[in-house]
Amino acid sequence: MSESAVVNVQPSANRASRILRQVVVAAGPLLVLMLMVLFLWITSPAFRTPTSLLLIGLEAAAIGVVAAGQTFVILTGGIDLSVEAMVSFSGVVAAILIAGTNIAGGQIAFGIPAGAAILIALAAGTGVGLLQGLIITALNINPFIVTLGFRSILLGVSLVWTRGAGINIQKDALLSFLTGHIELGSLKIPMPLIIALILYTVVWVTLRHTKLGRYTYALGGNETAARLSGINVGLTKTIIYGISGLLASIGGILVMGRLQSGAYQNGTNMTLISVAAVVIGGTALSGGTGGIWGTLVGVFIIRVVEAGLVYLSVPSNAKEIVIGAIIVLAVALDVLRRGDIPWLRIRRKSSA
Amino acid sequence: MSQPDLNSIHSPEQPPLLEMRGITIAFPGVLALDNVNFDVRRGEVHALVGENGAGKSTLMKILSGVYVRDSGEVIFKGQPVFFTTPRQAQLAGITTIYQELNQVAQLSVTENIFLGSEIERGVLVNWPEMHRQARELLAKLHLDIDPRQPLSRLGVGQQQMVEVAKALHHRADLIIMDEPTSALSLREIEDLFAIIRQLKAQGVSIIYISHHLEETFEVSDRITVLRDGRHITTQPTRALNVDSLIRYMVGRDLSEKFPKEEVPRGREVLRVENLNQGDRLKDIHFSAYAGEVLGIAGLVGAGRTELVRAVFGADPIDSGQFYIDGKPVTIRSPRDAIRYGIGLLTEDRKQQGLVLKMSTRENITMTVLKRLTRGLFTSRRRETALAQQYIDSLAIKASSQNQLVINLSGGTQQKVVLSKWMATEPRVLVFDEPTRGIDVGAKVEIYKLINQLARQGVAILMVSSELPEILGMSDRIMVIREGRIRGFLNRAEATEEKIMEYATGANQVVPEAANVT
Repeated sequence: MSESAVVNVQPSANRASRILRQVVVAAGPLLVLMLMVLFLWITSPAFRTPTSLLLIGLEAAAIGVVAAGQTFVILTGGIDLSVEAMVSFSGVVAAILIAGTNIAGGQIAFGIPAGAAILIALAAGTGVGLLQGLIITALNINPFIVTLGFRSILLGVSLVWTRGAGINIQKDALLSFLTGHIELGSLKIPMPLIIALILYTVVWVTLRHTKLGRYTYALGGNETAARLSGINVGLTKTIIYGISGLLASIGGILVMGRLQSGAYQNGTNMTLISVAAVVIGGTALSGGTGGIWGTLVGVFIIRVVEAGLVYLSVPSNAKEIVIGAIIVLAVALDVLRRGDIPWLRIRRKSSA
Repeated sequence: MSQPDLNSIHSPEQPPLLEMRGITIAFPGVLALDNVNFDVRRGEVHALVGENGAGKSTLMKILSGVYVRDSGEVIFKGQPVFFTTPRQAQLAGITTIYQELNQVAQLSVTENIFLGSEIERGVLVNWPEMHRQARELLAKLHLDIDPRQPLSRLGVGQQQMVEVAKALHHRADLIIMDEPTSALSLREIEDLFAIIRQLKAQGVSIIYISHHLEETFEVSDRITVLRDGRHITTQPTRALNVDSLIRYMVGRDLSEKFPKEEVPRGREVLRVENLNQGDRLKDIHFSAYAGEVLGIAGLVGAGRTELVRAVFGADPIDSGQFYIDGKPVTIRSPRDAIRYGIGLLTEDRKQQGLVLKMSTRENITMTVLKRLTRGLFTSRRRETALAQQYIDSLAIKASSQNQLVINLSGGTQQKVVLSKWMATEPRVLVFDEPTRGIDVGAKVEIYKLINQLARQGVAILMVSSELPEILGMSDRIMVIREGRIRGFLNRAEATEEKIMEYATGANQVVPEAANVT
């Protein structure tokens, strides 16, 4: 920034720079995603096919739904470490009900239709989410601890009910529909991706145009002020952990349906990835600022990186290293964009 | 930084200790400082005054390396300097004592003084030496404090003195004090002034920022006025008086500091009976009436804030009965209180009143979002209309409804908080320190709004540490000491002396009484 530019500040120029800044801040992760896609597009012919792109979309769907719930929780300044267990749990519950069996006790009943089984599994997941929220708010315990505890409980229940194996199911019409695809000309759009996009729209509207959404940001921004403004902080938080439970359970059904198996490993790694996606998407871990579309971009960034490693023939064992680096890098970029690093800001100004 | 010639300290022909020339800095949307000049001589107390948003804090943050200027130069001890971190400024000899103290309350006094510059013997911390030096520094300030005790045991005033000791430890040539008295009792303020004079005698220079103009006159040698990011004037203190200073600050005459309007007292709206809360509140009985401003006075820690928070349902109580319009009501949470038409403007706007990273609109409508919701969705149209109504009627200076409140000045922020409560159409509105940290011009605006609310029949409770404000605005004054109501005074009979008699425990031990705080 040169001296004269600063002294002759014009309101209009100022507004333009502010808008530009907002665009950059909003589009930052999206820009990264586009650059990555462009890079793979150029370097890898295999990546260039519609099939591989749609596959990435499919891979992103379930974790995307889970991360949507995580976004809610993180916006309030909390965290939900139970989501990966919730994914497994809801899948196991649904699979047991559909198959009418569990490994531990053999046949317990006749299987019920997938639709009913899914509803019961989602209700169970939502209930456990609400229970976590209730414990967090009523007893004023750190969400980190409560959700960590429930992660173990839910994984344990899934393990006990399945004896560590998967419960395999046959797809009925509904499950086939939910995990299938819609043909659009020659393109086969995965249904889970469509479901995820619909849910993201619902979450966006909720955050943007409902009381609950406003309260989410308010108590993430300043819980004391929210309480003293008459907002029912306890109820709001409880509902939000319920929402996270519900969305994680939906994610669980999508995973289970695709694998045709309910197993305690179904949600492996999803907590880490969901938190990473939220943060990469620009939502502050401290709460109060951020949004849902950033999270979607974050999910795609992670999935594109994973796919890219395959296309670039990087050994799969090295995957974790790259993912970890991407997480740290993305957050570092976010901090840079907001210009929160004193020594760097100084260098930028004094070197101009 | 090399040591300059120390023999030259008191020679008046010497160049000033600090010179800031043509300082300019722009933030998104605002030119915060425009070509500002400012200088400080050795051993001088230079007061920096101006309304909120005038640029005082920004100028000091540039000096102490928190912000980086866009243009202009800073010359300190004869050398051009460019601090980019507070640590660099501190090493050069400039220390800031912030409004909100940045100390670690759990650590001892010694640890706080030496934080970041611990004395070591080998790899171990040399405790005996550090305690000895700490004791020496405290003695220099005539403070009788055991440096081994945790800082949290000290009162706010003494904690501030520890901060001064820390500055001395860093051999500060220049100490910036930003609103140092805002949390201090009268006695502590006297102590602080004594120390300032002593520091002066030792050749230390002080930049003193305060909203209390009387203090500024008492302690400073010169006064510089900033307004809207511009340098207005720098004059010797004795060449100014309160009126001329206010004129420089606001750029116009202030007809009245307290534009009190007489409003006939209406019916009883709120009655509190037998309110008790631990040691903090005992046996509280009082009523608030429509159209009346009930001032609540008392020393810091007397229980004023506790009282209004209890009435608002913000803290649990042991016993107490509340009546609204004569009917008993149960208030266990702020939500209950709001339902019965009670609102509270907290003393700490930023921590408790506002969500700083939300917009002006969202803060204004926070209390009434339910009312703006039809079915599942909030109506953006109704919300915008409501916010605009208050932005217009309270003359809220925001660039748009979407401006984040974190970027508003203190007075404007207070208006946003007030809007949020006016939107609930309250019967009883409680102001806890309504003008703390607010500049002179905005204060009068807040008082006028209080008048307007009283005229509309709202019962006003007003807690304030500023006696002129209590006397100037209250119809009736309730004085609290050690959690009990010690007396009520009518507007006609109230004086500062009478209030202080009740507040300190009658006339028996007046000189010692202030010590207790």
